[in-house]
Amino acid sequence: MSKKVSVWSDNRFWQRSAAWVTGFAAMLLIWLTFDTMGQIAMGTDEDLTQGVTKRVPGPTVINYKITYEMSDKRGHEVPVIGEKENFFGRDDYSDEEARALLNLGKLGVQAKNCMNCHTLLGNGAYYAPDLTKAWLDPMWDGYIARLGKDSKEEAIAEFLQNPSENPSHERMMPNLGITETEAKGIVAFLKHMSSIDTNGFPRNFGKIQGAIHGK
Amino acid sequence: MFEPFTDIVPSFFGMINQGPMTLTLFLHSVIIAPMFWIYAQEKKRLQEEK
Amino acid sequence: MASNFAYESKKLGVMYFAVAVALLGAQILFGLVAGIQFVYPSFLFEVLDFNVARMVHINALVVWLLYAMIGSVYYLLPDETGIDTVGIGLGKLGFYILTAAVTVVVLVYILIQTGPANHTTLWLIQEGREYIEAPRWADIGIVVVVLVFLSNVYLTAMKGERTGILTVLMADLLALAGLYLAGMFYTENISIDQYWWWWVIHLWVEATWEVFVAAIIGWALIKTIGANRQIVEMWLWIEVAMLFGSGILGIGHHYFWIGTPEYWWEIGALFSALEPVPLVAMFVHVMYDWGKEAGIKKGAGEKPMMNNTPAFMWFVGSAFGNFIGAGVWGFFHTLPQMNIYTHGSQFTAAHGHLAFFGAFAMAMIAMFYMAVQGSSGKKDLKMTFNTKMGFILLCLGVVGMAVALTIAGYGQVMVERAQMGATWEGYFVSQYSHWFKQAMGWRLAMGVVTLVGFLYIVYDLLTINKAKINTEQGE
Repeated sequence: MSKKVSVWSDNRFWQRSAAWVTGFAAMLLIWLTFDTMGQIAMGTDEDLTQGVTKRVPGPTVINYKITYEMSDKRGHEVPVIGEKENFFGRDDYSDEEARALLNLGKLGVQAKNCMNCHTLLGNGAYYAPDLTKAWLDPMWDGYIARLGKDSKEEAIAEFLQNPSENPSHERMMPNLGITETEAKGIVAFLKHMSSIDTNGFPRNFGKIQGAIHGK
Repeated sequence: MFEPFTDIVPSFFGMINQGPMTLTLFLHSVIIAPMFWIYAQEKKRLQEEK
Repeated sequence: MASNFAYESKKLGVMYFAVAVALLGAQILFGLVAGIQFVYPSFLFEVLDFNVARMVHINALVVWLLYAMIGSVYYLLPDETGIDTVGIGLGKLGFYILTAAVTVVVLVYILIQTGPANHTTLWLIQEGREYIEAPRWADIGIVVVVLVFLSNVYLTAMKGERTGILTVLMADLLALAGLYLAGMFYTENISIDQYWWWWVIHLWVEATWEVFVAAIIGWALIKTIGANRQIVEMWLWIEVAMLFGSGILGIGHHYFWIGTPEYWWEIGALFSALEPVPLVAMFVHVMYDWGKEAGIKKGAGEKPMMNNTPAFMWFVGSAFGNFIGAGVWGFFHTLPQMNIYTHGSQFTAAHGHLAFFGAFAMAMIAMFYMAVQGSSGKKDLKMTFNTKMGFILLCLGVVGMAVALTIAGYGQVMVERAQMGATWEGYFVSQYSHWFKQAMGWRLAMGVVTLVGFLYIVYDLLTINKAKINTEQGE
C-alpha cells in the first residue's frame, strides 16, 4: 500500500542531495588535482637533454632556444625547445644555478608586484601587456639597438632597471628599484615562462603583422 | 574507437576526454546517478513515516 | 547611532558593517585613481602607480565584503539561535585586532609599496599575488581572527537552536575560511602558484561566497516578508546543490591556459556553463516568495508584510545583479573558444566589476539597511529619496562601468588578440584605438557616478532612521 508523498518538497531529500553533490564534486576536484599536479610539476635537466616534453620544463630550459610553433597534432601553437643558446653569455647553467636564477626572478615578480599591471599566463591586471610570451616579443629587437646591447636578455634586463627612461608609449612602466641581479633573475623567469605549454594561449602570438589596424 | 591521446602526459581523465562532451556526460552522470538512490530511500522513509 | 540592540552580537555586527562601509569608500576612491590613470597615464606616476592603486582597490573590495559577511553572521546569529553569541568578548577583540592589522597593511601598501626580491618582502610588505597581496604576517593574523569567528558561530549554534540556514552557513564558513590557507605558500613554479591561487579566489566567489549570499537572502526573506522557513530552507538546499555542483568543478574554467592539461577545457567549460542556473533559481525564489507571501496576506484581507523596503529593494536587486553580472557576463567568456581571445583583457574586468557588485555588494548593502532598522528598533523602515538616489546611481554607475569595459574589451580582443596576436605592439595599438579610449573615458565618468551613489547611501544610512517618512505616525 503506497500513499501519496512528495519527495520533491521534502527538505531532507534536498539536504542529502546537496551533501552528496558537494562531497562528490569535491572528491573529483581532489582527484583531478593530484593528476594535474603530476603533470605541471617542473621537469628536470635530464628531460631537456633527452628531449622529453614536459608541460612545465625545468629551470635549465634557459640554456636553450625557445620558439612557439603550430602543432598539427595538438591543433594549436606549442612552445618548442630547440638547440642550446647563450643566456647572458653562457649555455651551461647547472640545475642549481638555473633554479636559483628562476627563484630570484619569481620572488622579484612577486615583490615588485608585476601582476598588478601585467598579466602572467593571462592572469593579473590589464594596464600593461601580457608577459606569457614576453621573452619572444618582437619589440625587443628594437630595444637591443636602442639600448646598445648585444643580446635580447641584456636589453630586457636594462629595460627592467630603467623602465621609465626607456618607455615604449605614453603609458610608462615605473621604476621599481629592480637591481641588476634581480633583473637577471626576472629575465630567466620570463624565458622559463615562455616555455610553459599553455594549450595555445596567446593565440597566433606575433604571427600576424596586423594587416587591418583598428582605428 | 578511441581517439589517440594528444596531450603531453597520459592520464585517466585525458583518456575519457574523447571528444566534445564525453568527459561532461560521464562526470555529470556519475554525479546525478546516486541521486536516484537517495530519492528512492527518502520516498520509502516518507511513506513509512506517516 | 543610538543602539537599540538587546544582543552584543548585533552590536559587533554593526561595528563590522561600519568598517565595511569605510573600506567600500576607499575601494571607490582608489578605483578612481586607477581609472584616471587609464585616461591620463602621468597621473601620480612614480608616486602612486597603477599597480599600487589597483592593489588597494581590490584588497579594499575583498576586505569590505569579508567584513560585511562576518558582520552579517554576527548580526543574524541571535535571530537564528535565540541566544547571544558565545564568546562575544573574544569576538570583539578579534574585530579590533583585525581592523588594526588591515590598517597597517594598507598603509604599508601605500607608503612603502615594494621591497627587494626576497621572502622578507613577502612576509612584511606584500606578496604580489592578485587579491591576496597581504603580507604573510597579516595572513596569519587573519587566520587567527577567523578561527575566533568560527568558534563564536559553532559554539553558539551548538548551544542554541540550529536552523537549516545556520547549518548551511556553518559548513560554508568552514570551507570559506579553510580555503584561504591554499594561498599561503610560495612556489617557484608559476603554474602551480596559479593553480592553488584559484582555489582561494574561485572557490570563494563562485562557490562559498555564493552559498553565503543564498543563506543570507533566505534569512532576509523570513525576516522582511515573513516567508515560510521550511520552504525557504528547501530552496536553499536546492541552491546549495546547484551552486556547489556547478561551482566546484567549474574552477576548471581557470585552468584552460595556465599550463594545466587539456581535459580542463571540457570539465571547466561544461561545469561552469551551468553556474548561471542556480542564480536563475535564486531570483525566481525571491520573486516567487515575495508574490506568494503578498498573495496569502491579501487573500486573508491583511496587508502584506514588508518591514524594510530599502533592504528588500537591495536584496531583489542583488538577485538580478547576481544573475546578470556573474551569470550572464560570466557565461559570455567561459567557453574556451571565446576565452582564448578574451583571457586577461578588459572583458575580464567588465565581468569582475559587474559580478562582484551584483552578486555580493548589493546583498551586503541590503544587510546594512537591516542593521540600521535593527539599531532603531523600528517595526517598519521605509525608503527615502536618498535611498532611491543611492540605489539608482550606484547601480547605474557600476552597470555603466561594466558596459564601458565590455566595449573596451571587445575592441581590445579584436585588435590585440585576433588581429595582432597579443604582442606588446598589438596591446598598445588596441589601447590607443578610438573605441578603447572612448570606453575608458566613459568608465571614468561612470566611476564618478558610482562615487556619488555611494555618498548618497552613506548619508542615507546615517539619517534614514530620523527621516520624516520613518518618524511620522507615532513611530
